[in-house]
Formats: sequence, C-alpha cells, structure tokens
Amino acid sequence: MSAERYFTALRDLAETERDRLNALDAALGDGDHGSTLLRGLTRAAGAADGARAKAFMRASGGASGTLFGLVLHEIEQHLDNGADLAAGLARAEARIRDLGQVKPGDKSMVDALSPAVAALRGGALAAAVTAAEQGRDATVEMVARRGRAQYVEGGGKGEIDPGAVSLTMILALLAKTGGAT
Amino acid sequence: MKKLFNSAETMVDDMIDGFVTACPQVKRGTLDPRVVVRRRGAKNPDEKVTLLIGNGAGHEPIAMGFVGEGLLDANVVGDVFAAPSADLILDGVREVTGKAGSILLISQHSGDVINGRAATMLAEEDGINVLPLLMYDDISAAPPERRQDRRGAPGTMFIYKILGAAAEEGMDQAALMRLGEAVRDRTVTLAAAVSPGISPLTGQPMFSLPEDEIYLGMGVHGEPGVGRVKTGPVAGLVKEMLARLLEDRPIAEGGRAAVIVNGMGGTTQMELLTVWRETEAELRRRGITPLAPMVGSFVTTQEMGGVSISLLEPDDEMLRLWCAPQDSPAFPEIHLIPEEGQT
Repeated sequence: MSAERYFTALRDLAETERDRLNALDAALGDGDHGSTLLRGLTRAAGAADGARAKAFMRASGGASGTLFGLVLHEIEQHLDNGADLAAGLARAEARIRDLGQVKPGDKSMVDALSPAVAALRGGALAAAVTAAEQGRDATVEMVARRGRAQYVEGGGKGEIDPGAVSLTMILALLAKTGGAT
Repeated sequence: MKKLFNSAETMVDDMIDGFVTACPQVKRGTLDPRVVVRRRGAKNPDEKVTLLIGNGAGHEPIAMGFVGEGLLDANVVGDVFAAPSADLILDGVREVTGKAGSILLISQHSGDVINGRAATMLAEEDGINVLPLLMYDDISAAPPERRQDRRGAPGTMFIYKILGAAAEEGMDQAALMRLGEAVRDRTVTLAAAVSPGISPLTGQPMFSLPEDEIYLGMGVHGEPGVGRVKTGPVAGLVKEMLARLLEDRPIAEGGRAAVIVNGMGGTTQMELLTVWRETEAELRRRGITPLAPMVGSFVTTQEMGGVSISLLEPDDEMLRLWCAPQDSPAFPEIHLIPEEGQT
C-alpha cells in the first residue's frame, strides 16, 4: 500500500482512539497523547510524499513528536521506497533509546517497540505485532523511570503506558494493511 | 498582565517579521520562515564551517540576535518556550550547510537535546555533514562530577562567540568542536532569580517567590536550583555567587576570568552594572583579574527579574576570539579592560 493510504488510515484510527489514549495518558502524564498524535497524523496524511514523518514531527511537537516521528519515518521509507522494515525499525529503536535515554523495562514505547524489532528479525510482521502487544501489556506492572510518569505516585504501576499502546497500534495497522507489498 | 501582542497564534512569526525588517544583518531563510540567516556577511558554506542553534522563542535577543558575520550563521526559532521540532532544525541545517560542514549548537535542555540530535541523525541520513555540540554550564543543575548533566545557561554565549570568530577565520569543523568543548570545560554559570516572567501564552507568572527571597540557581523557565536566600545589599549576593562558582571550578590567584553578567529581562541596567561592580571587586579581592565583561540582558525570559554570573577562564586564543569584531544585531562589542581597571 502507499504511504498516503497508510497515513490516512492511521489518522482515522487515531481519531477513533483519541479519547482512549488521552484518558490513558491522563493517568500518567498530561493527558494529551491521543490529541497530539491525531494532530501530527492529520498533517502527515495531507503532506507531500516523502515529507509525511517530518510533517508529523512539526505538528505533533515536543519530544514525543520526535520519537514517534522516527518510527513513522522508517515506515514511510519502507512504504515509499521498499526500504527494509526490520532494519529501519531497529534503527528507530536504537535512536529512541539513545535520544530518550530509555531502555526496555522503563515503561515507555520502547517496551512495545523492542520486542517487535526482535521478532521482526527473521520473522513476519504479524509475529512482531504479537510481540509488541505482549510488551505493551507488560508495561502495566512496570515503574516509570523517564518522562512525566516517573513523578506519578508509584511510578504509574498498575497503569498501561499510552506510548506502548499507540506504538502497537501503529505496527498493527501496518500488518493489517499488508506493509509494502 | 498586559502584553503587546496580536495573538498567541502569530506572536512568534510577528516578532520575526519585526526582527528581519529592523535589522539589515539578517533575513529569513528560503526553506522555512522560522529560520533566520545572515543577510550580509554570508560566506560560501563549502569553505566556511557554519554554526547554528535552535531555541524556543521568548528569550530574545538570544539567539536570533546573534546571527551575523563573526557569530552565528543561522537560528531556528521554535514556539514560545518550546524547542523547535527536529524537522524544523533539519531545515535550518540544510539551509546553511555546505562541504565545510556545520555545527549545531545545543543548549542542554531535554527538548532541545532530543530534537537537535534527532535532526543531526536525519541530516546524516541525507549525507549532510553536521555535528551536534552540547553546551552546559549551570553549576546548580548537577555537581562537578556530573558536569555533563548540567543545563545550558548564559555562559553558553562564550561558546557562540568564540566559535563564531574562529569559524570566520577558517578553522575546520573538528578543531571547532575541540575548541567548543574546551571553552565549555572552562565555563561556569550561576543565576539568582528575584521575580517571575509572565508567560505570553497564558498571561500567568511562571513561578512565585516571596517578596524578601531570592532563588539561587533557578533555570530560565523557573526550574529548581540551589535554594532560597534572603534579600539584602547585592554585594553579599554576588559574594555568595562567586564563592559557589569558584568552589565549583577554582581559578588560581593570579588567574583571569572573562565575565558575563546577564539580566533575565526584568532587571535594569542600573542593577546589572551594580552587580558587575561587585563582581569586579570580589574577583580582584581574590587575586583574579576580570577581563572583557559583557553586561546586559541577552538571555531573557520575558520580564523575569534576576541575574546570572558566568565565568570563563580563557587561554590567550579564547580571549582574542571573545573580543574579535562581529556584526550581529544584538551582541555587544567586547573590550579588554586594562589590567588595573578603569577609573
């Protein structure tokens, strides 16, 4: 599928999920994750080919806009140019861990992304989504070490990480719509 | 609080319009209206290493006021108190980088670091030669053994100016990075806040402080620092600040210090010159020669009241470059003061 169709479908999904993501974020952060994601994806869907992830970063803003933008940048490259998805997402994971100073177990998007990248190495996208879902669900019991959630009482233990939820959403939609094939 | 803006949506772009039409040294870039570049004195980027920085708006004149010959090649302006996004910084990098390469200066605050470094990663993917240089100097943000965790504060202006002059003279990218790190390692800053700035977005004060208290080490957005002290004659405050600065990074008796006394926006030149007077006297009392001071309001947070003192122990080359001529809208001329002071 084309990057345009993927980003449009992702925008529609973010619209459906906005309130749920905001509510999840309200338990751990400032409660705007769904809204900022939708704002970024609305611009990305309408942007020119090759400029979608960058449009997302600009419109979404902040550190999370940049970190999610790095994932979307690799997906865009994959859909536009057939770039290797496994290598791209591995690169995005390494960059996010480096820039955000975050590692698996810190209760963040990396807890969904990291197992997905591992599963994608030699495996199918469907397996990566399953791994992301398991990583996402495991964030419930984790204590946050980075971002605003670290200041919440108990480090947010008992709450699912909204970044892990939306990251899984991004990969699941890619699997559902068939990747670059 | 009354403010003179048209609207929250347009205030940053309105300001940049005013800036580029008021100052002949600068103009907007071609890739994005939030990128300010040199109008006069621009050099061939295949021959000269270019220097740029991104920062949130609301702290003027830093950093767009420092774009000009002998200083910065570009400034990327974010929203009010918000770091520019990675793609916007990337536009700035694209705008000015040639074969000689560029250096993206990053004042260490979390959003600036993440977005700035992400921009250099994306640039590298596109084959653009840009290196990030992290700048930090605020001694209240972390102890000496964790210097690399400190915030960027007004002492970063030493790096802007010294690298700007060296780049203009043709220094290559690797040597500029080493020089920037050397200046950073010799720079310390401590701030004292007396009253909050008013956010142009909300119209509300950004923190509160009792009338008789001064907050030592507060960051430019009201971030926590060392703690509170009671008000009194400013000589005592300056003595306390210098004691902390020189304990953190001692300068031996007989040594020299270049000094920045920076006002935060709501502190008058009358007050800043008084702070400089006390700084000058206290340094001399300690056997340290104060040199080439820069006194004024350069890194501001709206009408925030307060002052920071930055010290650089320069080598001869750094001192020469610090005093070199430049042509930017807002950086002052820096003069060596005679060894015995001026009377």
